[in-house]
Parts: sequence; structure tokens; C-alpha cells
Amino acid sequence: MSLRTTHSILSGPSLPLKSRLTPLAFQLQSRNRNGTTRTLASATPTPQPDPQPASPPLQSLTNAQKKYLESALRVNHAGELAATLIYTSQIPPIVKAHPHLRPLMKHMYDQEAGHFKTFNHLLAKHRIRPTAMYPIWYAASTLLGWGTGVMGREAAMACTEAVETEIGDHYNSQVKELLRWDDEAKARGETLGEDLQALIKDVRRIRDEELDHLDHAVGEDAKMARPYEVLNGVIRAGCRGAIWVTERV
Amino acid sequence: MSSTTALRTLLRTPASLRLLLLQTPRSTYHSYDHAEQPVYREAERTILSSALAHVPIHGFTQEALTLGAKDAGYLDISSNLFPKGTFDLVKYHLVSQRLGLKDRIQFPDENFGVGRKVRNLILERLRANVDTGIVTRWQEALAIMSLAENIPASLRELGALADEMWFLAGDTAVDASWYTKRASLSGIYAAAEIYQTTDQSTEYRDTEQFLDRRLEELRTVGGAVSGTLGWAGFQAGAMVNLLRSKGVMI
Amino acid sequence: MASLSLRTSRHLATSTRTTAPWICQSCCQSRTFASSVSRNQQPPPPPSHQDPTQPPLPGTRQDDAPTHFGFSTIPSTLKASRVANVFSSVASSYDTMNDLMSLGIHRLWKDHFVRCLNPGIRPTGPAGLRSESTKEEGQRILDIAGGTGDIAQRMLDHATTVNKDMKTHVTISDINPEMLAEGRKRFAGSDYQLAGRVDFLEANAENLSTIPSNSIDLYTVAFGIRNFTHKDQALREAFRVLKPGGVFACLEFTPHLSNSVLDGLYKRWSFGAIPLIGQVVAGDRDSYQYLVESIERFPGQGEFRDMIKEAGFLVPGQEGGEGEKGGWEDLSLGIAAVHKGVKPV
Repeated sequence: MSLRTTHSILSGPSLPLKSRLTPLAFQLQSRNRNGTTRTLASATPTPQPDPQPASPPLQSLTNAQKKYLESALRVNHAGELAATLIYTSQIPPIVKAHPHLRPLMKHMYDQEAGHFKTFNHLLAKHRIRPTAMYPIWYAASTLLGWGTGVMGREAAMACTEAVETEIGDHYNSQVKELLRWDDEAKARGETLGEDLQALIKDVRRIRDEELDHLDHAVGEDAKMARPYEVLNGVIRAGCRGAIWVTERV
Repeated sequence: MSSTTALRTLLRTPASLRLLLLQTPRSTYHSYDHAEQPVYREAERTILSSALAHVPIHGFTQEALTLGAKDAGYLDISSNLFPKGTFDLVKYHLVSQRLGLKDRIQFPDENFGVGRKVRNLILERLRANVDTGIVTRWQEALAIMSLAENIPASLRELGALADEMWFLAGDTAVDASWYTKRASLSGIYAAAEIYQTTDQSTEYRDTEQFLDRRLEELRTVGGAVSGTLGWAGFQAGAMVNLLRSKGVMI
Repeated sequence: MASLSLRTSRHLATSTRTTAPWICQSCCQSRTFASSVSRNQQPPPPPSHQDPTQPPLPGTRQDDAPTHFGFSTIPSTLKASRVANVFSSVASSYDTMNDLMSLGIHRLWKDHFVRCLNPGIRPTGPAGLRSESTKEEGQRILDIAGGTGDIAQRMLDHATTVNKDMKTHVTISDINPEMLAEGRKRFAGSDYQLAGRVDFLEANAENLSTIPSNSIDLYTVAFGIRNFTHKDQALREAFRVLKPGGVFACLEFTPHLSNSVLDGLYKRWSFGAIPLIGQVVAGDRDSYQYLVESIERFPGQGEFRDMIKEAGFLVPGQEGGEGEKGGWEDLSLGIAAVHKGVKPV
């Protein structure tokens, strides 16, 4: 290891350490936007000026709010992982038995894959760890998709209906919570900031798409599945359990 | 050896603490719009940073902490601001060097792979121990960190460092490998740091070689594991397709 | 140990004579008890040390506002005298009482309290980094509500034997002369007394006007602050007398144990047995009943930590922006707790 005599972080107590201890938010932000790794040329960072001094001041996030965002985004990520896998394993048996469903299944799968990508990006960006149950949800959702796919069109649609009902509820409560923050921030004459505004928009759009899937499923005779009540009850309870666990780990 | 080191670390840890090894290093949402709250308050920061300047001579001791307080214009008694005493001093070094890592590192070549960036980050972090002059005293710090009551906080800080390194290296994977990556990097870093404290070679070349061997092992083992898993997945998929082609309804 | 916001009536006669002109004379006369009047004996502390939100003249505040005495609610002006009666009657059996209240482990807590504070200035290091002048001075420690002198004794022992500091000085302050008499007895003829390293002060912790501002290194109060009528005022006064960088440290019982099951058991013990033992051992049930109830009425750890912050102190153990947790140390499952505050420079 060649010892470079780089500027030591602690040898100069007179230097403003504070600026080093707080992450350079905008540097990181720009890095993230460009999708490339930035080059940090200076050992002593100069405080970056706010690129666009927004007129309303930014609301600062409380620890509770950060915790909420963390667990909400983790659940969303795990949920979209599961949804993608359910469709992946449902499609072959269903399309084989009912070729006319191919475009619908593909449409729904593509949307779910898009959602998954969104949350993959958000987790990496906001440095949120994925759920520790990842391999288990992976196996469980593959099994669920395959099982209901083999049971037939109605069962597969009942599965979609049950999952999307729970997911829709989950997203709805998130939108409600985020809008409440937004209202509170506005009441104080502050703003939530770009990232959170974008998040509200994303979650809303995704919720609407999930509810579309629900409508499609009901349109494709989800209610005709036998035994509908059992399937619906079990899958919904499973979803709620998985959400509960994922919020925590 | 790195995996055995990691395994030994794991087995030496009390059972109730093992989960902490995998525990979330950063538990909360990292915001870009909002400034992060500083970890230390102004008074803590000035006292601890002046105290670290006394570590090369006095070690990680109460004496260094007291002298730091005096240097910062406080009294002998003011070291009561740090309930964990010397461990707070150790932790300050860990936290400030972790947060300072992004300012120390620069990747001259944009085409650096993630693996190479991680290597540079580890070396840079080890270099910080040398630059601050505490490397000769670091064994004392390791002893303090290994006290039962300090283990959870020490492991959390180690995990946070691994997370910071993967983040700075530009790794964006958020799947199950998130955990294994951080666990293996934590193990390698801890081993390299222990090696560094006993390294007598010029410019810590032995440490660098030690680190390279550990990383190479990780590549071999990790490659073998993911290769095996990939092969198993491929075989399973092929089997399913074969059965489907035979008319089995799956 | 019992620091009481009260003066006995013999002080009243002198105090009314010297009442500052800005006090309505009739108001003072109307107060039967002297806790507020005694404060008026001295001009208020310099305003620069006062919290701007606080009424500028302590003597003019609403001292007849109801406060609690154990579980009963009484006027503030009465509390001090009632507390005084309790401690006057238990002064001689005070250590026995603490043994009962803490299940006998208050001695360990006090040892721990003193050890973690680490009073005394260590000898000059080999490099001679410490300037000799600071070494010469030693520390000034103020032990509030320290009547019987057991904390003071431990402080001086620690400074002398652990840190080899022969200069550190302790002032034992208590409002109750009977309690102080116990302390004088303890130190009579001791080395510390002969070396002039200990002295005694009869004063109200809410008004330490004989002690100059910014003069104390360490302010301790062990098992006393729950008896103060105005805890916030006492904290502000502590902030005033401490040097910048000085430490406020408090050892006190807590109203609730951290574990609710054990809390139930402990409550059973303290409410059932202690007054009874008081009756049998000391023939004084009411005093012991008060002591138990006063613990119950003391603010919880989080609330008391916020009061310390309110007075301007930096509370240790709160890094990472964790404003809502930490900041004290529970002892023995939270039967008692150590609170600290550092006066910022």
C-alpha cells in the first residue's frame, strides 16, 4: 500500500468538519441522475450551493417519517418482485391453455416489470436494504403463480384479484399518508421536496395500474374460480402476512 | 481464509448478537433533498476530534479524552459528556472516517469495475488509519470494541462501512446478494484491518497483498457459488420445458 | 441529603427586614413560609444567566400555585416546610432509610455514581502536557442536598486515591441544618477537614446566591432533587454556578421501573412495606409514606432529561440526532437513574 499523503480528515481540527460529516447531497444527486460515478477531486469539499433556491423551504424529514418511507419502499419492492414472479410462472400454463390471453398477460407482466424496476431504482438510490426474506418471497410467489396457473384461468385470475386487492389497499394507504405529509408541509409553508413529490406521483400511477389489473381479472371470471372464497381468503391473508413481515425485516 | 475468519467472527459472537451481523447498517431512508442531521453535536465533535490528536501518544484512553476536552476549552470533568468513555472516542474515529471516505477517494478511471473500486475503497479506508496516526494504537481500539457491551455498536458500524463502500463503488443491486455482499466485505475489511495493526512492512505492502488474497478468494468462492446456482437454475428450467414439450400441464 | 426549599421561621424575621424594595411588602407578609422570602434576601442572579422566558424576579412568581407533597396537593409555599419536617425527623436514621428504600443497594449506586463522574484531576502526564496551574487548583465540587456527606466523602476519596489529587474541594450544601449537622459529625477531625478540602453551606438549591456564577466544576445532587419545590429553578441555578464545561449530575429514584412486572413487585414493596417498617423502626409512618410517594411523583427519566436540556445543558449519549431517546443511565433495572448535563462552552 503506497502511503499517499492525502489530506488527513482529522489532522486539521481547524477545518470545517461539519461539511465533511454531512453527505454531499447534491453531489450524490447529480451522480445518481447521470447514472455515472462522479469523480471526487477535492479532499476538502466546498459546500455546494443550492442549485435552485426553491421559494418554499424544504420540510425536514423526521426520523419517524424516514422509518416509514424505508419500510414502505421495502414492502413495495418486495411486492413488485412477487407480482413479477407470479406472472412469470403463470404465463406459460395459462397461455398454453388460453392463447387469447397472451396479450393481456403480457401487458400486465410488462407493467409489473416496470414497477419492479422503479422500486429497484428507488431502493438503491435511497440506500434502503431489500427485505431479508427475499429468497423466501421469491420461492413463495413462484410457487403461487405456478400453482394457480396450473389450476386454470379462473384460479389464476382469482389469484390476481386477491393480490391486487391487497396491494391496492397498501398503495392507497401510502398515498394517503404521503398526501397528509404534503398537506402538513403546505400548511407550514414548506414543500416536501422533489423526490417525495415524484414518489407520490409514482405510487399513485402504480396503484391505478394495479387496480386496472384487478378489473381485468374480475372481467376474466375471477369470481368463477372454485373454490373462490378459499383461494381469495388464503391469498389475501398471505399477502397481509407478507407485508407485515416485510415492513419489519 | 477470509470466509473462515468471517465464520470465526460469527461463531465467537454471542448467539443473541449474531443477527446483528446481518442487521441493517443504514436503517433509514437516505434523502437527497434534505440535509442529513450531523451525527455529532458541535461540542462532542470538537472534544473528540481534539482527543484523537492525543491518541498516538496516549492511546485510546481516558487521558486522551480528558486532554481533548481541555484542548477544546472544556474542563477535565467535561469528559462526562461521553457515557461510554473510550469507546465513544473509537466510534468517533470509525464514524468520521466512514463519512469522510467519499471525500478521500477518487476513481481516476470511469471504467473501473465495481470490484476494483471496492479494493481501492478498502485501501483508502486503511490508509486513513495511517494518516491519522492511530494505526499504532489501533489494537487498543479493537480490544475496546470487542468488549461485550460494545460489540453490537461495533458490528453495526462495520456493517455501515461495508454499505458505504458498496454505495460509493456504485453497486445498485437490491436483491438477496445485498446481504452477502455486505457480510463478505465486512469480514474482509475486519481481517485486513487486524492484519494492518501487525504489519511491519514498508508502506503496509503486506496488508495490501493480504487484502488482494482475500478478495481473490472471494471471487473464486463467490464465482463458484453463483455458478453452481446458475447451473441449477438452468437445469431446472430445461427440465420444466422438457416436460411441457411432452404435454405435461405445468 | 435532604435539600429543602425552605427556611425555618427564624430566618423569616431577618429576611422580611431585608426584603428588596421591588417586592410588595404585603405579599411577603402574607406568605407564612419563607421559601420565597428567603430568595428575596438576595438580589436576583444577573439576568445574563437567566432564561429569557423565565420571570425576571423569582420572588414575584406565583409561589402559592399548588404543588404536590407525596400524593397530596398543597400550596408551593407549604411544601418546603413539610419536606423539612420529614428530613428533620429522619436525619439521624437517614442511612437506614435509604437502605430500606433502595433494597440496600444505594451504597453501590453512590459508588458507581462517583466512579463514573471520576472527580479529581489526574497527575501530569509524562509529556508534561498539563499546565501546572490547573493542577494546583483542583476541582470545585458542589454537593447539593448532601447533608450527611456520604457523596462528598466518596468524591474526596476518589479524587485522592484514584487521581492522586490533593486539592479538589467539596462544598456540602443542604437546606436542612439537622442534615448538615450529620455531615459535620462525619468529617469532624478527618484529614479532609484539616486540609480544608470540605466546607458546609446551608442554602436553598433554588437560590445559591452566595456562590458566584461560573465557579463550580461539578454539581452533584443525589436523592435530593425530587424534594425541591421548583426543580426547573434549581436546574437553572445549577447552570448558573457551573463553569462552562462543568457537569451537572443527579442520582435519583425513578417513578417507574423499565420492566412492568418488576415495577408492580417493586411498588408492592415500596408502598406496602416501607411505611410499615418506618412505623415499626422509627415510629414515624408519615415521613416514610411521603418518601415513597415523592418518588412516584418525580418525573420519569425522559421528562427529567428534557428539563435538564431546557435549562441549557448538553445531555450526554444523544448523538445521532436521537432527540427522543437515551440521555441517562438506569441503575438496577431502573429503580434509580443517573442524569448528567454538561454546560456548553
